[in-house]
Amino acid sequence: MFLMRSEYDRGVNTFSPEGRLFQVEYAIEAIKLGSTAVGIQSRDGVVLAVEKRLTSVLLEPSSIEKIMEIDTHIGCAMSGLTADARTMIEHARVETQNYTFTYNEPMLVESCTQSICDLALRFGESDKEERGMSRPFGVALLVAGIDEYGPALYHTDPSGTFVRYEAKAIGAGSEGAQTTLQEEYHKSMSLQEAEVLSLQILKAVMEEKINSTNVEIASITVANPKFRVYNKEEVQAIIDQLKA
Amino acid sequence: MSMDNFGLYKLMHEDAPKNNNPLLEQPTLAKTHTTDPIVTGTSVLAIKFNGGVAIAADTLASYGSMARFRDIERLKSFGKYTIVGASGEYSDFQYIEEQVKQSLIDRDYQLDDGRSTTPREIYQYLVRVLYNRRNKFDPLYNVLVIAGYENGKAFLGQTDYLGTHFEDVTLATGYGSYIAQPILRKFYSEKNGNITEQEAKDILKKCLTVLFYRDARAADKVQIAVINDQGPKIDEPIKLETQWTFKGF
Amino acid sequence: MTTHISPQMASSGTQHGKFEPYVNNGGTTLAIPGKDFVIAAGDTRLSTGYSIHTRQSSKVFQLTDKCVIVTAGMQSDASTLHKTMHARLVHYEHAHGKQMSTEAIGQMLSNMLYGRRFFPYYTFNLVAGIDSKGQGVVYGYDAIGSYQSVEVGAMGTGQSLIQPLLDNQVAYKNHQLVPSKELDLERALSLVKDSFTSAGERDIYTGDSVEIAIITQEGIKYETLQLKQD
Repeated sequence: MFLMRSEYDRGVNTFSPEGRLFQVEYAIEAIKLGSTAVGIQSRDGVVLAVEKRLTSVLLEPSSIEKIMEIDTHIGCAMSGLTADARTMIEHARVETQNYTFTYNEPMLVESCTQSICDLALRFGESDKEERGMSRPFGVALLVAGIDEYGPALYHTDPSGTFVRYEAKAIGAGSEGAQTTLQEEYHKSMSLQEAEVLSLQILKAVMEEKINSTNVEIASITVANPKFRVYNKEEVQAIIDQLKA
Repeated sequence: MSMDNFGLYKLMHEDAPKNNNPLLEQPTLAKTHTTDPIVTGTSVLAIKFNGGVAIAADTLASYGSMARFRDIERLKSFGKYTIVGASGEYSDFQYIEEQVKQSLIDRDYQLDDGRSTTPREIYQYLVRVLYNRRNKFDPLYNVLVIAGYENGKAFLGQTDYLGTHFEDVTLATGYGSYIAQPILRKFYSEKNGNITEQEAKDILKKCLTVLFYRDARAADKVQIAVINDQGPKIDEPIKLETQWTFKGF
Repeated sequence: MTTHISPQMASSGTQHGKFEPYVNNGGTTLAIPGKDFVIAAGDTRLSTGYSIHTRQSSKVFQLTDKCVIVTAGMQSDASTLHKTMHARLVHYEHAHGKQMSTEAIGQMLSNMLYGRRFFPYYTFNLVAGIDSKGQGVVYGYDAIGSYQSVEVGAMGTGQSLIQPLLDNQVAYKNHQLVPSKELDLERALSLVKDSFTSAGERDIYTGDSVEIAIITQEGIKYETLQLKQD
């Protein structure tokens, strides 16, 4: 892993002879250190759930925000460098508002995701006047929303690639989580089933015992297409349904 | 001053009525653009015929009421399949010819792919050039007639210094739009558009003669050009035959 | 605005040394929305002052499979606007993988016109299309982007002749007893034709022919109606 990487692992503008951009690959690696996040698309909505790593009892849990709204109909969960995610979300918020200003209708979830990835791809860009980005973003996002085509879930990574998923996990526990998703997910899943499954998975991969303060969960439904992060009571109600 | 088409009377006559009201327009030292044409050409006429277009104009460039240049060309070929005729400011037309013709024609030669810029493309390009200049409040004071032949079909279009543009089967600019256009339209519809090259040239010659009688800025030295599948052919200037022995004269 | 009597050079009527970048090229446009259709029409005469430049210049421009724009005012500004809109629509389709909705076109045009607030396009637009609910809709604009959905829209030199009558016959305005008959396509089309025939009688800038776009969920059909050439 750390052998013979002296020449090509520094710059983001130079491919290695094998055709790789190491800084981008390292950024993708960085996400695997992040807290786990799960997204599940169901027939009547999309659920996002993340674990919050509360590293100290003195830490105020509400100050860690890993699920954020982009527009009323789009939200996202993050894993990796959350500071980078804020930059991307700020960009996406401007893009969606600008779209609504121009066209007087909500932006498509895919278009929103594309605009985030356009920004993610700008690493290594710079000119004399402006300082560009020095490195790729070290964060992956799960973008969830509802548009005229119905519910949608997208995954973005630091390379600026985005892919649509029916269910996707990112972060430290993503490997195990994704395996469970593959086994448990079915297309006719209800939103309630998706809520329970997402927390069931988090419970399995988290080091700490799951409770209503160390996870965040949010959803958007076709019936009420407003992205919303759940309050403590709602989270507890889902935890109460989990298998032991 | 029955009709001062280009507003030259005030420009050329020291004793023109002066505007002494200090509240009204005063001369300014600010940056100025062309606001009035100075050396001008009058009408350009054109008509489609079976297999081509005929286009005509006289060879005069006037300086106000003075017949300043009596042997200039107001019909120019632009590339292999196009003729452009110009009325209005002659220097602006020379500028257009130099700039636009060069850039368009150079492109044809530099690409060397055997394809020439089509009349419709040249027309649309000229529309954009003239419209962009009007947007800068620095117009090129012309009305251009673009005649051409592309893919076995005749093309005839017009554009002016505001970017107004359109195609038609007969066209006439300046006084020609009042005097010649009705004659040409009637001729075209009576013939049902079925016109020979010679008939087209003859009717244009007739219209130019009528214009020479009535348009004080028109001359009897004219050029008639034809564009068809053989390319552009601009004839040498000819003298119009006129008859001045009527009692009324 | 001064009346242009000269054939094309802006001279008579304008002050020496002042370039007038605007001209009204005349003509009338009209649009009527229905429950599941919309009709948009424009005459094809292009004039400046007393001169008719051509009898076959279109004011109708198709934007999408279910939306057209009809524009009165200055022809060169209109065609520039149409081209710019077309470019925006093509780009939008590439960026978002779908045709722009009629509502979105409505908002976009408003922004485009207001973007030229300090050197406006001298154009008076009607956007006619089928909206995302499948209903006919017409947006009417002023030259600098104010817009609203209208029950019936007329623009251009024949507006003052046509609009009040259509307010009465389509929007059922100014009735003592309001008839409650829903407007069908057949009656709307016949109103459009009668409107242009009548405008052509009294407005010297309206005539030659009318291009009519009939838009339904199935697509857009075009009809031409000959008018008098006088």
